[in-house]
Amino acid sequence: MDNEFLKLVKLNKTFGNGSQKVTAVNDIDLDVREGELVTLLGPSGCGKTTTLRMIAGFQTPTSGHVYIDRAEMENIPPNKRPTSMVFQNYALFPHMSVRQNISYGLEIRHLSKSEINERVDKTMESIGLTGLGDRQPRELSGGQQQRVSLARAMILEPKVLLFDEPLSNLDAKLKVSTRLEIRRIQQRVGITSVYVTHDQEEAMTISDRIVVMKNGVIQQVASPVEIYSHPRNRFVAGFIGKANFMRGNITEINGDSMMVKTLSKVVKAPYWNKDLKVGQDVIIVVRPESIVVHEADEDSEGLLDGKVIHAVYFGSQIIYEIELKDKSVMNVEISDPQDNIKFQDGSDVKISLKYKSLHVLPFEEKVDNE
Amino acid sequence: MHKSKKETLSEIKRIAREPFLLVSIIVIFYLLIAFVIFPIFQVLKTSVSVDGHLSFANFTQVLTKSYYIRPLINSLVLGIVTATIGTFFGFVFAYAITRTPMKGKRAFRLIATFPMVSPPFVVALACILLFGRAGIFSGFIGNIYGLTGLVIVEVIAYTPTAFLALVGILQAIDPALEEAASDCGASRTKVFKTIILPLSTPGVVSAWLLVFIQSLADFGNPIILSGDFSVLSVQAYLQITGMYDIARGSTLAIMLLVPTVLAFYIQRYLLSKKSYVTLTGKPTSATIKNLEWYIKTPIYFFCIFFAAVVVLFYGMVVWGSFQKLWGVDSTFTLNNYIDMWASGKDYIKDSLIVALIVTPITGVLSIFIAYLSARKEFIGKNLMEISAMLTFAVPGTVVGIGYILAFNSKSFFMPVSLTGTAFIIITLLIFRNLPVGIRNGIAALNQIDPSIEEASIDLGASSSTTFRRVTLPMITPALFSSLANSFVKSMTAISAIIFVVSGKWNLITVAILGYVDNSQYAQAAAMSLLLVGIVVIALGLIRLVTSKMGQGMNYSNLEGEN
Amino acid sequence: MKKLFTAIIIASMLTITPCFSQGTNEGESKKKTLNMYTALDSEEAKYYLDAFEKETGIEVNEVRMSAGEVAARIEAERNNPGASIWFGGSNTDHISAASKGLLEPYKPNTSFELIDILHAPDYEWSGFYTGIIGFCTNTNYLKEHNLEAPTSWADLLKPEFEGEIEMAYPYTSGTAYTTFGTLIELYGLDGALDWWKKFDKNIHQYTKSGTACIARAGLGECAVGIGFSHDILTKGIQNGYPLVMTFPEEGSGYEVGGISLIKGGKETEEAKIFFDWVFTVEAQNLFVKYNRIPVNPDATVAEGAIKLTDINLVNYDAIALGEAKEANVKAWRDTIGK
Repeated sequence: MDNEFLKLVKLNKTFGNGSQKVTAVNDIDLDVREGELVTLLGPSGCGKTTTLRMIAGFQTPTSGHVYIDRAEMENIPPNKRPTSMVFQNYALFPHMSVRQNISYGLEIRHLSKSEINERVDKTMESIGLTGLGDRQPRELSGGQQQRVSLARAMILEPKVLLFDEPLSNLDAKLKVSTRLEIRRIQQRVGITSVYVTHDQEEAMTISDRIVVMKNGVIQQVASPVEIYSHPRNRFVAGFIGKANFMRGNITEINGDSMMVKTLSKVVKAPYWNKDLKVGQDVIIVVRPESIVVHEADEDSEGLLDGKVIHAVYFGSQIIYEIELKDKSVMNVEISDPQDNIKFQDGSDVKISLKYKSLHVLPFEEKVDNE
Repeated sequence: MHKSKKETLSEIKRIAREPFLLVSIIVIFYLLIAFVIFPIFQVLKTSVSVDGHLSFANFTQVLTKSYYIRPLINSLVLGIVTATIGTFFGFVFAYAITRTPMKGKRAFRLIATFPMVSPPFVVALACILLFGRAGIFSGFIGNIYGLTGLVIVEVIAYTPTAFLALVGILQAIDPALEEAASDCGASRTKVFKTIILPLSTPGVVSAWLLVFIQSLADFGNPIILSGDFSVLSVQAYLQITGMYDIARGSTLAIMLLVPTVLAFYIQRYLLSKKSYVTLTGKPTSATIKNLEWYIKTPIYFFCIFFAAVVVLFYGMVVWGSFQKLWGVDSTFTLNNYIDMWASGKDYIKDSLIVALIVTPITGVLSIFIAYLSARKEFIGKNLMEISAMLTFAVPGTVVGIGYILAFNSKSFFMPVSLTGTAFIIITLLIFRNLPVGIRNGIAALNQIDPSIEEASIDLGASSSTTFRRVTLPMITPALFSSLANSFVKSMTAISAIIFVVSGKWNLITVAILGYVDNSQYAQAAAMSLLLVGIVVIALGLIRLVTSKMGQGMNYSNLEGEN
Repeated sequence: MKKLFTAIIIASMLTITPCFSQGTNEGESKKKTLNMYTALDSEEAKYYLDAFEKETGIEVNEVRMSAGEVAARIEAERNNPGASIWFGGSNTDHISAASKGLLEPYKPNTSFELIDILHAPDYEWSGFYTGIIGFCTNTNYLKEHNLEAPTSWADLLKPEFEGEIEMAYPYTSGTAYTTFGTLIELYGLDGALDWWKKFDKNIHQYTKSGTACIARAGLGECAVGIGFSHDILTKGIQNGYPLVMTFPEEGSGYEVGGISLIKGGKETEEAKIFFDWVFTVEAQNLFVKYNRIPVNPDATVAEGAIKLTDINLVNYDAIALGEAKEANVKAWRDTIGK
């Protein structure tokens, strides 16, 4: 098996010139394995769509290379590339029926009528469009349009399937079911895919690996679990899921754990990143669900004093904003709140941090996504 | 946009890989240079050369003779007066259509825009029939031969232009804004002054400039009605056809060209600036409230008045066409039609042949240029756009003179002389009608999400296949409206055409002008009506085809909420 | 859609191709053709040309323009004329064109001798009819204002006619230039211009074409028009307009209707056949309908038509006036400013 089915090498893209010059994509290197679904995730303007369009051939890189199945793509126009794209707004041909839309690419390739029909039927069945062939695109629901778009791309059996925020026009419920379906189909067919989104939840649920991008630069490439539990930097920690940040200084490293002195207390944390050294300024990433809230009168080691400034009840969970002594505010999520007493606004509490869930990063100034 | 060498190189490579595209671009550049830029350049060259040397003697002569300066001043005065009144009328009409609950809007709209489909000079003809000394309202407005008469006919002829430009602007102003303003306590007048007027100002100015351009370039009306109030377009024509003085004729033409092109670019600049109108999001459900009677009454009265005037003018042409000898013997007769048919059927045939050739070519070419301009990146794209749009601003008189100068003998661009052929008429009409078609096409293309075309390319279609199978079907309505425009303009053109008609190929408008010249107003009326009839029938047919093809083809709403 | 697209393009190509061919090259059918510029009215020209076609089988493609326009067109097309013969228009225009070397000398075969005023010394043009400058006045206007029709150039200066007289620009119309030429013959150039400065006050408007003022006077758009006798009769009085025709007693000018071969014309043979035909009795008899005075002594003269001998004529030097046309017109424009 080829290890690097899709390979991006030192890919750059700049727009404009002089003072107007904007670097959309900055020296990107990425390897995607065959059959893998990799998501490009980041806020708008991070360069993820530009990267996708360079893979598809709609944009010419300022420098760098795109290889698909070891073939250099530079001189290959988009219509000759072994890629197919599912567009954000589906880009269905409004003057063609569903069937005509799906068979379009096959007709371009001059396949025989019978083969086209056979493949279209098969694809429509596998994607759940059977019976809709004669409909016009405007007669379909958003979800159906989305599936036509997927069918139209997949029927060509491209080497790489590209998704450009395909779910952004669907409502919340449909989003969830459709992304599961996309993932199922992708895994069944085993098609190499690159998926662009700005929705971290979507990225988490669908991807084999996630590429977090910011300002045209890759921040981290890792599996969803890895990226959530061990974000490489403060941006990734804040962008994927929610995070509280506590500033501190390492006072002691002891085997697999270390002691970090924060403004309010010394916190014990796992020692993952072996680059960290005693005396270094660090940030502790504390996920809201990794905090336990205790009664104010409880007294045991490692508890921090705090005060509830705001409590919101969600049914399945409660979210507290708790102010610590040093005036920093921690967001806390408590699942299954029936087990807990609901603390009122203003009440004094104590909190503890779940040791295993803590993640320590070298110190960084606050970043703009917080 | 700046590109690295690699990008430019790879773009060139990409275009080179699509031979159809490459060849098209080259062919279009040749056509635009040969048939748009070269003729205008020839006029310019002729105006600044004496005996083959560069010299501004023509200009110094022209600018020191009162009989050359007066037409310049007259043209500008006429343009300013017509533009001001025409824009005002157009605004009131557009306001009535978009902002009042007036009944019969469709009929009013039809009547108000009718002068656009008739040859320009028909209004002038009607004016003589109505207000001339032998007319029914003789003496009603004094001497019609001069500024007064010209302003009346040009206002009727060009108010539709202002109206159409303004109706779009006013429509785009969300009624919710007015509701918001009156909700804040603004009176009706205050709402108009603080909301409608400021938001429509760029539109008003651009409508004014459009009418100004048309008035300046008008030839058909002044040649009939100008009397002693000589204007540039007619004077340039007389200079060439009467004095055989091409040099000074070209000089006058350049003097006509400068203000029109200037006005055109100011207008384009205004439109290109971001208007506030587009900032408003989706149209809201706000509706037009019933207006107070003291606002409605004058507006309604005005609309009825203007519509009545248009009906009166054209009705007069109908009535006149059935009179035995206009002004002397008003016996009902069909003889004018019989005579007109006998002596004019060749003109009609030629006009139809020319229009039927010009129409499809203009349609296809304009859509194609629009496509290149809206969807493709290539070197010289701006130049292509500018030169393609150029003939829109250039008065017909200048184009006509340019064509006789450019194509009378062999040149680098054209290996044979075109004088006297139908080809010169056809090319002239094609390149004069091109800009409107291109603008229609670009507007239609801008409504289509480019990702639909990208999807086609992504699925393996080449750029030409994509154009044919995806883009073209979606812009069919725009194509047909270009066809309609091109047909109407080919049938009714006069100002440029009059320089290039010949014995073998003669056109109906020129024949009508000949009748008017001989005061054979009844025959002129009969032939004008026939011409208007042909145009209306053709428009009806085109509309029928478009609506059949366009059934439920409202694509622009399909794309996502993006 | 693809087929439709291709079909449109092919159809356009097919229709456009024949348009490249100029009239002269369309000789596939054996029918001979002659391309002509004519300054006669379309209707009148057609009347003569139909007769010619019937007699000779030569098909004539005519373009109607004013004499000035024809001259301009011939000059513009001197490298590649679009026609071979110029039929009609005052001989002054032909003379002016001849002086620029645009015409091909040809002495027509006639059954009679053309007198000197009827041809150029070397036959670059010949005259096939004559006409006299006259005034046409709206009789209703005269009655209403209790006036007499003008019978002299001096009458035209009367304040009663202020803003009531129309004629063409001397630089766009042969008729108007002949009028101007007549005044030059009478008073000299300076005298003529002095006269005209006063006359200009009485002008309602100048027209482009020389005959437009006749119907306009008939319609009452103006009171008096100045034109050729045959035009006044044909387009005015015989059409039923309330007009009366008068002539200036100081002396009037006359025109000789010119015909000439265009230098470089491609259908020389056909052009010469037409040239000769115009002077035959049969052709000249046709002039009766349009009140033109024939030059062939054997031809019938229209009833009521005026002959050169009936009127006090100035000694009109068409050749000198034709050659001086540009200078005279410039002087006129500089003085009158129009």
